[in-house]
Amino acid sequence: MKKATFYATCLTMFSLVLLWQGNVLAQQVTGVVTDESNDETLPGVNIIVKGTMTGTTTDVNGQYELNAPSLNDTLIFSYIGFQTVEVPIDGRQEIDVQLSPVSLMGEDIVVVGYGTQQRRELTGSISSIDGDDMKSYSTSDPADLIQGRVPGVQVNSDGQPGAAPNIRIRGVGTFGNNSPLFVIDGVPVGTSIRDFNPNDITSIEILKDASAAAIYGSRAANGVVLITTQQGTTDTPLQVEYSGYFGIDEVWQRMPVTGREDYQMLVNEGLRNAGMPLVAGNDPNSPLYIDDINTDWQEEGLKTGQRMNHNLTFYGGGENTTYNLSLDYLDSEGTLVGHGPDYERYSTRLNTTAEKGIFKFGQSFYYTYTNEKALNYNTSELTGGRPPMIVDLVSAIPTLGLYDPSVEGGCAGTDQTIHRAIVLNVPCTNQLLEGETNVSRTFASAYGEVDIIDDNQQTLTYKISGSYDRTNVRNVNWVPEFVQGFFFSNAAADLNDGENTYYTGVVENTLTYDREFEGNHDVTLLVGHTYQRGGGIFRNGYAEGFPKPYFKVLDNGNTKTSSGSENANALESYFTRLNYNYDDRYLLTATLRRDGSSRFPEDNRYGNFPSASVGWNLHNEDFFSLPSFINQLKVRASYGQLGNQSIGEYQYIGTINTSIPYNWNGSKVFGATQTQVVNTEIQWETKTTANIGIDARFLKNMFDLTAEYYSSTTSDILVAVPIPNTTGAFDPPTVNAGELRNSGLELALSYNKMQGDFTFDISANFSTLKNEVLALGGNDEPIYGVGTKTEVGGEIGRHFGHKVEGIFQSQEEIDNHAFQNNGTAPGDLKFKDVNEDGVINADDRTYLGSGLPKYTYGLNFTGQYKQFDFTVFASGMGGHKINSRIYRYLMLTSDYLNYHEDMLDRWTPENRDTNIPRRVVNDPNNNGRDSDREGWLQNGTFLRINTVAVGYSLPQSVREMVGVKNTRVYFQVQNLYSFQHYKGYNPDFTAGTFEPGYDNGSYPKPRSFMVGLEIGF
Amino acid sequence: MKKLTLLFLTLFLFAGCSDELNLTNPNEPTTDTFWQTQEDAVKGVTAIYAALLNDGTYMRMIPALTDGRGDDFKADTPWPDLWQVAAFNIPATSGPVAWVWDGHYIIIYRANQVLQYVPEMDVEPELKERLLGQAYFLRGLAYFNLAINFYEVPLVLEPQEPSEYNVPTASEEDLWAQIHSDFQEAQSRLPVSYNDVTGPDQGQIGRATVGAATGMLGKSYLYRERWSEAATEFEKLIDGGPYAVYELMEDFRHNFDVDHENNAESLFEVQFGSIEQVGGSVANYGGEPNGNWQQRSSIAFTYSPEGYEDFLVTDWIYQAFQQEMTVEGEFDRRLQPTIMSREYDETVYGHEWNYPGDIYPRKYTNEGLPQPELREDSGINYRVLRFSDILLMYAETQNELGNQAVAAQYIQRVRDRAGLPDRVAEFSAFSQQEMRDQLAHERALEFAIEAIRIHDIIRWGWFDDPAKVEELRQRDSEFDSWAPGKQYLPIPQDELDVNPNLEPNPANN
Repeated sequence: MKKATFYATCLTMFSLVLLWQGNVLAQQVTGVVTDESNDETLPGVNIIVKGTMTGTTTDVNGQYELNAPSLNDTLIFSYIGFQTVEVPIDGRQEIDVQLSPVSLMGEDIVVVGYGTQQRRELTGSISSIDGDDMKSYSTSDPADLIQGRVPGVQVNSDGQPGAAPNIRIRGVGTFGNNSPLFVIDGVPVGTSIRDFNPNDITSIEILKDASAAAIYGSRAANGVVLITTQQGTTDTPLQVEYSGYFGIDEVWQRMPVTGREDYQMLVNEGLRNAGMPLVAGNDPNSPLYIDDINTDWQEEGLKTGQRMNHNLTFYGGGENTTYNLSLDYLDSEGTLVGHGPDYERYSTRLNTTAEKGIFKFGQSFYYTYTNEKALNYNTSELTGGRPPMIVDLVSAIPTLGLYDPSVEGGCAGTDQTIHRAIVLNVPCTNQLLEGETNVSRTFASAYGEVDIIDDNQQTLTYKISGSYDRTNVRNVNWVPEFVQGFFFSNAAADLNDGENTYYTGVVENTLTYDREFEGNHDVTLLVGHTYQRGGGIFRNGYAEGFPKPYFKVLDNGNTKTSSGSENANALESYFTRLNYNYDDRYLLTATLRRDGSSRFPEDNRYGNFPSASVGWNLHNEDFFSLPSFINQLKVRASYGQLGNQSIGEYQYIGTINTSIPYNWNGSKVFGATQTQVVNTEIQWETKTTANIGIDARFLKNMFDLTAEYYSSTTSDILVAVPIPNTTGAFDPPTVNAGELRNSGLELALSYNKMQGDFTFDISANFSTLKNEVLALGGNDEPIYGVGTKTEVGGEIGRHFGHKVEGIFQSQEEIDNHAFQNNGTAPGDLKFKDVNEDGVINADDRTYLGSGLPKYTYGLNFTGQYKQFDFTVFASGMGGHKINSRIYRYLMLTSDYLNYHEDMLDRWTPENRDTNIPRRVVNDPNNNGRDSDREGWLQNGTFLRINTVAVGYSLPQSVREMVGVKNTRVYFQVQNLYSFQHYKGYNPDFTAGTFEPGYDNGSYPKPRSFMVGLEIGF
Repeated sequence: MKKLTLLFLTLFLFAGCSDELNLTNPNEPTTDTFWQTQEDAVKGVTAIYAALLNDGTYMRMIPALTDGRGDDFKADTPWPDLWQVAAFNIPATSGPVAWVWDGHYIIIYRANQVLQYVPEMDVEPELKERLLGQAYFLRGLAYFNLAINFYEVPLVLEPQEPSEYNVPTASEEDLWAQIHSDFQEAQSRLPVSYNDVTGPDQGQIGRATVGAATGMLGKSYLYRERWSEAATEFEKLIDGGPYAVYELMEDFRHNFDVDHENNAESLFEVQFGSIEQVGGSVANYGGEPNGNWQQRSSIAFTYSPEGYEDFLVTDWIYQAFQQEMTVEGEFDRRLQPTIMSREYDETVYGHEWNYPGDIYPRKYTNEGLPQPELREDSGINYRVLRFSDILLMYAETQNELGNQAVAAQYIQRVRDRAGLPDRVAEFSAFSQQEMRDQLAHERALEFAIEAIRIHDIIRWGWFDDPAKVEELRQRDSEFDSWAPGKQYLPIPQDELDVNPNLEPNPANN
C-alpha cells in the first residue's frame, strides 16, 4: 500500500477499497503448462484460484506451484495469445494443463452484428483488432486506433489534440460522408466517437463486406466498426487496475522559411521586376527601413505540449452477475502558443450484467465531459477567410515583431505602407481570442433477454434493448477589442455562446432461433425490428460591445441577438439473418434488411438490402487432405447490397426562408422567398459488394494469413452535385447522382513465436485501392475540387491543372510560344498548349496525377524478453500526389508574405538553370495556377513510425513482496519520425472527398515522449 | 411455453408499425404553403431587394470591381483579386468575380419566383402591379449589370426544373432585348412615388419607381446606341415630362452621404443601413440569409485610407478636376466631395496625413461626416442612378442626334452645380466629336468612383482605338496589361466547368 501513495491523491482514495485476501489452510498444487499445438512448455502463464486473489505464474520451464485455499477450488490458467481455461482441482495435487493458442482459427470468438460467431464459422470479411495492441497508441479519438492495424482501412488525421480523423474503409465509397457506422456494444452511435474512452475498449471489429455488414444494411455502406467495451467476469472478487502515462509533445518538423534579409531581398526583387516602388519597410533608403527585427514565427508560435492519462478500472462479479466500472482522465495540451488547441476529457463507464434461469439483462452507462480549445481561425473578425492558423504562422513575415503594447490587444500588426503584407500574428492572436467547446454526453443502454425455448436441440431467445445517446455541446467564442495592423481589428468585443443538443434513441427487438438438426446441420435464424429517432436542437446567443474589465457572459454585451433551429430524423428497419453450418465444412449466411428513412420522400422511403455469403473449411474435408504444412484453410465468398442515407434532414422538401432582412427608410423589414433548390425525388444510395477471401494457418500454426479481394459499386450516390449558379441557388441540392467502383486486394500476415525466452509477434498488412467513377449524374458534368477534377472514367479527385514545359529564357521564346499573358516575361513558366489553339487558358488544363493513395500498409512488432517487452508500429501509404497549400503559400500566392527557402533558387537572369519561376509582384503570368510545376504536386508516399515502446514488468517475486498483481512500466515514443518526400507537415492529413490530395494546412503531428505505468491490485 | 412464445411473437410484430417516418421541417414554411397570401407577395419582393446588399452586388464588388478598372482609380491592395481586376488580368477562378455573377443570379431567381407566382395570387390589383413592376425592374437591373460586366450571359426567366439548369449563353441582342423588355414592363406598372399609394408599401421610400424604370430603360437604350429611343425615355424625366420630379442637389456630397439618402437627385438607390441603424450580428456578405444579417456596405472601409485603402485615386483624374476653376476661382465643387488631397485637406479623419503623397477617394466614405469610419460598416446608400446622369446621358443622345446646342444646355446644367463657368455658347458650336470629348470629360468628373467610368469607356469604343488605349495607359498604368477583351470580367471558371452550354467571354482568354 505504501508504494501506492506516490499516485495522485484521488487514486489513493480508490486504493483504500482494495480487498486483502489472505491464505488460510492452503493446499499445494503443482504442475506443468504446455502449448497444445507443439507440446512445448509455456513460461509466464498466469494461474489464479477462481474467486480469490491467490495466484502465481509458471517458471521458465512451464512449471508452477500454488497454494490453493481448498482442493475443491477451480484454477484459471491464462496467458496472452492463448485460450483461458478453467480446471477444477477436484482433489488433485498435480495438474498438468495444455493451452491452445487463441488465434487458432475456430477458437476465436468474433463480435458480429447482433451476436457473436466463432471465427471458423465466418463467411464475411471481418477484421479484428485486439484492445491491447491498439492501446500502444495514445490518442484522444478511439477511431485513430484503427490506423495501420488492418488492411483496407485508411485513417487520416491532423496533429492537434481533439482532431477528428477521416476513416475510410475500402476507399471512398461515396461522395458525401465516408465515415463508417460505429456500433458500441451493439448500439449504433449517431455522431463522433471522439467522446468515448479508448481505455474501455477490449476489441474492435471492422465489418468490411456486404455480408458482414448487411445486418446494419441501411447505414453500413461505408463499413461498420463494432466496438466492444470491457465487461466484468463472473466469480471474480473485485479487481482494481490502474494505467496511466505522461508525455511531452514537440513539433519536430520545421518549414524552412527565409529570414529578414532574404525575405526583403525577395519582396524587393518582385516589386522591381514589376516596375513598382519598394515597400518602405524593405527599402534600405527609406527612414522606415526595418533592419532590427527578424522574427522566427515557428519558434515563437510553437511550444512543447503535454499529454496525460489516468485510468482506473474496477471489475469483478458474482455467480450470476458481473460489473465493470472505469474512471478515466485525459489531458492533452497542444503545441501552439495561446488558447489551444487543447483537449481534456473526464469519463466514466459502468457495465453490468445479471442472469437467472431463462432471464438475463445487461446495462451500460457512459458519461463523459470534454473540454476542447479548438484552433480558432474562422472568426469573422479575422477578415478575409483565413487559412488554417498554421499556414498563417509559417507565412508570417520576419520583419514584424510579436507585441505592441501601444495598441488595443497588444499584438503587433502590419502596416500598409511599411509592410503591405496581410499577416496574422498567430501567437499573439491565439492568446487574444478564446474558443472553447464543452461536450457533456450520456450514453446509456440496457437490454433484457429471455430464453423462450431452451432444450438440447434448440433455443429461442427474445431480446429487447433500448438506448439513448444525448450530447450537449456548448460552444463559446470570445473576441475582445483589438487592433492588429491595418487589416485586422475588432471595434466591439463580442461573445458567441451557443448550445447544441444531439440525441438518438433506439428501441430494438430481436428473436433468435438456434437449432441443431441431425446429421450436423446447425441453423440459426434471427429476425428483428429497430426504430430509431434522432435529432438536434441548436441555439446560439450573441452579444457585442462589452465594457471593460471584461466579464464574458452574454448579459454584459450592449446588443444581443439569438438564433436557433432544430431537426429530427427517424429510421425504421426490419431484418432477418440465416446462418447455416453443415459439419463445420460448409457455411452459409443470408441476410435481408428493409429500411425506411425519414430523409426520403414517401414514395422512395424504403430500401431492401439483401446479401449472402458462403464458406468452405477445406481442412475439415475428409475426401482430400491438404499438404501437411497447412493447418487450416478456408475459402469464402460474399455478395450483397448495403444502403446509405447520410445526408442532412428534409433535403427533399423545398422551404422558404422568411428571414431575409432589408430596410425602408431605415426600418428593418423581412422578405421571404425560396433561396435553395431541392430535388424532390431522392432515394437510398446503394452499394453492391463482392468479396472473396481465404484464411489460412500454416507451419505449425505459426503463420496466419488472410487474403481478400473485393469489388464494390456504389450507385445512386447521394451527393450535392454542383449546379450552375445561374439557378440563383448557391448551395447545390442533394441528388442521387453518380456511381463509383472500388476494388482492392487486402493481405494480412502474421507470425507468432511463442516459445523460448524471446517471444514475439510480427504482423503486417497491405492493401491496394483502385477507384473509378462510373457516373456523375445529370449530364455527367465533371466535379471540380481544389485543383482537382472528378470525371467519369477516372478516379475521384485527380489533380487537374496545367502542364509546365519549363521556364521562358528569352522574349523570343515567349513570342514563339502560345500566348499566355501580356505581362509574360523571361523567367515565367511556360505552360503547355494542350489543345494547340495558340492560347494558354483553362482549356489547356489536364490531369496531373492521383490524389488517392494507391496502397496503404501497416507493420507491427511486439516482442517479449523475460521481463521486457518491445513494440514497434509503423504505417504508411503511397502512390499519390499532394497539393500543399502551405508550400504554395510560401512559394507564391501573396507577394508580401514570407517565403520557403526554395524560393532562393528562383529564376533570375543570373540563375537560369532552375525550375522555380522569377519573382514578380502581381504574377502577371499566373505562375501560381494549378500545374505540375516543381513543388506544386509532391510525392505523397510516406512511412510513419507511429510507436516505439519498451516496457518492463516487475518479476513475480517483487510483485508478491509489494502486494500487487501485474505491474508494467514503459517508455514510449509516438510519431518518432516519418520518412516522407512531402514538404508540408503531415502526409496523412484530412481532406475533402473531391480533393483527397489537397492539404489545406493540416496541423503538424507532434512527436511524443511518454512514460507510463500499468498496475493491478 | 407455447403461449409465451405466441405472446412474444405478437408483441414483436406490433413493435414495428408506426407512421413515424413522416417528419416535416419545423424551422421554415415549405414551398407548398407559401406564395398564397398578399403578405407572401410583398415579402417575396422585399427578398429581391435584399439581394442587392450582398458582397457580389452593391455591398462591395459591383462598385469595387467596376471602379478598379476605371482610369480614375488604381489598386493599392494586397488582395490579388482587386489588383488583378484593376490591371485587367484577373483569372476566371477569381472568387470576387464569381460573387458578382452569383449575386446577380440570386436577384434574378428571386425576381423570377415573384413573376411566376404572384400573377396567379389573390393580391389587391394595384399592389400586384406595383409588386410585379418592381420584380421586373430588379431583374432588368441585374441583367443590365451582368451584360455590361460579363458581355454575354445566359437568360433565366423563370424558376427552373433540374433538367433546365444548364442554360446556354444568350446572344448580345437577346440579352439586351430582355433588359429593355424588363424595364418597359416595370415602367408600365410602377408609381411615380410610394407616398400616394394605398397598401402595405405606402410611404416606403427606396422601392423602385417609374422614374427609376424609365431612367434605366433610357440608359439601357443608350448603351445600345439607340439614341432617339433613349432620348424619348430621358425626356419623360426632365422639363415637364410625366415623371419629371427630379432635381440636382445643391451640395454634391449629399449624393454620397448617409444624411441625404433618397434625395431629389436620386432615381434609385440601394438601401444600406449601418449596424447602429438596422442592427444585425452576421455580416451580409452572402450565403443563406438569416434574421440576424446586417445591412452594411463595406465600400467606405474598402476605399478609405482609414480602412483597407484598397484603391487610390489616379493623378490623372485629380488633374482633370483642376483644368477648370469655378467662377469664384476655386476648385470644382465636386473635387473635395470626390477626392481627399493634402492640398486642401489639412487632416484626414481628424488626424495628420500619414503618407502625404497619396490621393484618396472621399466619395462614399464617411470622412468629414459625423459618423466614424467603422470596419466595413457603412450605412451610406449606394446611388444606382442619379438625375445628373440622366441629364448628361440626354445631352449625349442629343449630340449623337446632331443637336449640339441642346446637348450644351444639359451639360451646363450639371456644370452649374459644380460652380463651373457658363460655356453653353462655346459648346453649342462644338462638332459632334468635340462634344463627345467634352462629354467624356464632364462624365469623368461627375461620375468618378461611381461604378460607371469603365462602362463609358467600353461603350464609347475606346478599346478599339489604339490612340485611346495609349491615352488610357498614360492616365493609369494598369491599362498596360490590358489585352483585347480583358475590359470585361471573365465568366467564372466554376460556371464554365459545370455548365457545358455556357460560352466563355472575351475576358476568359
